[in-house]
Amino acid sequence: MSLILAIDTSFGTSVALLENGELRAEHNVADTMKHAELIGSAIEQVLAQAFAKPSQITGVVAGRGPAPFTGLRVGIAAATMFAAGVGVKLYGVVSLDAIALAALNASPVALGVPLLVTADARRKEVYWALYSGLSEKGVPIRIDGPGVMKPAELEDYLVNRNVHPVRTAEPITATNLGLLLEAQLAEGSESADVTAMYLRAADAVEPKARIGKAVSG
Amino acid sequence: MTDLKLLPAEEIHVEQMMVLEETCFGRDAWTEESMRFELLADHTRYFVLLEGEIVRGYAGLSKLPVSSQGDIQTIAVDPSLRGQGFGRMLMERLLREARHLGASEVFLEVRADNPVAQKLYSTLGFEHIDTRKRYYQPDDIDAWIMRAKLEEGSQVEPVVLGIESSCDETGIGIVRGNTLLANVISSSMDQHARFGGVVPEIAARAHLEALQPTLMQALHDAKLSMQDIDAIAVTNGPGLAGALMVGVGAAKALAVASGKSIYAVNHLVGHVGVDVLEGELKLPTIALLVSGGHTSLLLVRDLLDDVTLLGETIDDAAGEAFDKVARLLGLSYPGGPSIDKAALGGDPKAIRFPRGLTLPKDMAMHRYDFSFSGLKTAVARWVEVADGKGEDFSVADVAASFREAVADVLTAKAIAACNDHGIKRLLLGGGVVANARLRELATERCHANGIELRIPELKLCTDNGAMIAALGAQLVMAGRAPSSLDFGVDSTLSVEIVQTN
Repeated sequence: MSLILAIDTSFGTSVALLENGELRAEHNVADTMKHAELIGSAIEQVLAQAFAKPSQITGVVAGRGPAPFTGLRVGIAAATMFAAGVGVKLYGVVSLDAIALAALNASPVALGVPLLVTADARRKEVYWALYSGLSEKGVPIRIDGPGVMKPAELEDYLVNRNVHPVRTAEPITATNLGLLLEAQLAEGSESADVTAMYLRAADAVEPKARIGKAVSG
Repeated sequence: MTDLKLLPAEEIHVEQMMVLEETCFGRDAWTEESMRFELLADHTRYFVLLEGEIVRGYAGLSKLPVSSQGDIQTIAVDPSLRGQGFGRMLMERLLREARHLGASEVFLEVRADNPVAQKLYSTLGFEHIDTRKRYYQPDDIDAWIMRAKLEEGSQVEPVVLGIESSCDETGIGIVRGNTLLANVISSSMDQHARFGGVVPEIAARAHLEALQPTLMQALHDAKLSMQDIDAIAVTNGPGLAGALMVGVGAAKALAVASGKSIYAVNHLVGHVGVDVLEGELKLPTIALLVSGGHTSLLLVRDLLDDVTLLGETIDDAAGEAFDKVARLLGLSYPGGPSIDKAALGGDPKAIRFPRGLTLPKDMAMHRYDFSFSGLKTAVARWVEVADGKGEDFSVADVAASFREAVADVLTAKAIAACNDHGIKRLLLGGGVVANARLRELATERCHANGIELRIPELKLCTDNGAMIAALGAQLVMAGRAPSSLDFGVDSTLSVEIVQTN
């Protein structure tokens, strides 16, 4: 039996519990500012709804983003410590791949027409990735990305490559994260890497002049 | 032992407790009326073991204020959950409570034909001291009277794991009561070096990477597993918001995963509370906390209930000033140690740098406040002027004079606070305590003023998880209710809020 706890905070706070690939409970809050407040109760509620004990969990999966928000770290930190606390395996998946899974399951793409998944990256930029379809075991096949660009740049990038994708407005949910992990486990392509994907360097400027720097105007 | 919680019993639990009472005690069961009376009495303490909203066990203690004896009144655990350590958990909670209420010994009665319970009690320190013949009727069974003497350092002290992530140190510490068991610190300092100061985003990223290995190392050092932890404490402020969120998210998930209660505690009060790990924390005391993020002067009358902020920096923290001046002088990051090193052989009186907020006009508004921004600018101007004239100046003199100005104003204001409040104790905390001149001057001036100076070991002065665990343990031992799971981080949390509920 597998009982997977899935946590994604790349957008809002989303937590789900899946038993053998079937959804047992899910909790979603769209607020993008309150991850640290919400995460504990969200996990507790999902367990309570499913009448599950932490000791019954067999694996934990975290959404790695990409995401611009400090909130992304809250979910990965929580998943990491939950797995450590109960002593089970920790997995990481790319959050955009989980969106692709939902979209491709809802409507498969035609050959040569990839799926474009985007997510708000703030600063007038978007995160994006392209998928050609699902593998035999139902894992989205990412053919480009994830990357971060201004929307106009992304359009140019696609046109220049003669790519005319279908698009999706599927939101990210922890349920899809869990379903993606199940498909990856079936395929043997799961990953223990939970490194946060920021795709941007930390904003910090190295100081320049030292001795003799003028401080008065 | 997983997702059950131990909480003080309330009247709403009585109905469910009665169901268990009748299951466990049959014809010896109390009536609902006597259960309610017991639970609500002033001299009793009742706790329930909750699985969600469902009462799975309970236990009660009676302790009259005039007496040094406590009595275990009852203990019951759902038959389906027996043999999993819940009885022990309840008993340990009662013994902790008895100690807190000032009991020196605790008594209980147990049926002579119940060896399982007798064995549990004896492992908790109870001894069979007397027998009441044929006490339980109509079964005609003897009662054993058992007694436990409560001594300092016995096994009822709570084991608390503390998580600290307010700045650039990921700290996880474990304490048992006032005893340090582990103190593991992972610092991202090296990653900030090329920026000359802590970069919040880099610190937050580093916390995420460091959490799991730091937790594993702390458990390893303490020779414990998560099952041995009674409660989790975490810093929820003040500090860098993004950094704090990582620790808070981690602590909450760990608490839910292990079924332990969580305490959200104040970072600055942790710096004071850490002193319990090195002996008795003597109160009241003035506390001077100096680090890269804080420069605060506190009046602590009671660690959990009465902490007052006397003053703090109105601009840069002292540690920040060290970093900025070090950069100015071409010295390495962090500034504290490199300025200490550069100041060797320098003349602290060579240059009279300004002491912020020490003029008579500042005394009304800012008697205990600090300002280091002007000092930093003064050093910069001095260097600029010297450079402009093409003079060769002594970096040692500049470093020593700057350091003297910082140490002078810090200690002068702390001593003034002690004298003004008639409190002859000063406790130092924070990373800048590593500065040799600050320690030297504090020692000198405290001695001259008849003030007792406390400086915890350096590893407990810098940001660490042990101090958070220690403060958490104080809250547990004082019988404080855990925080809810919904608290947030507060980057400017007031020092007067010791625990966020």
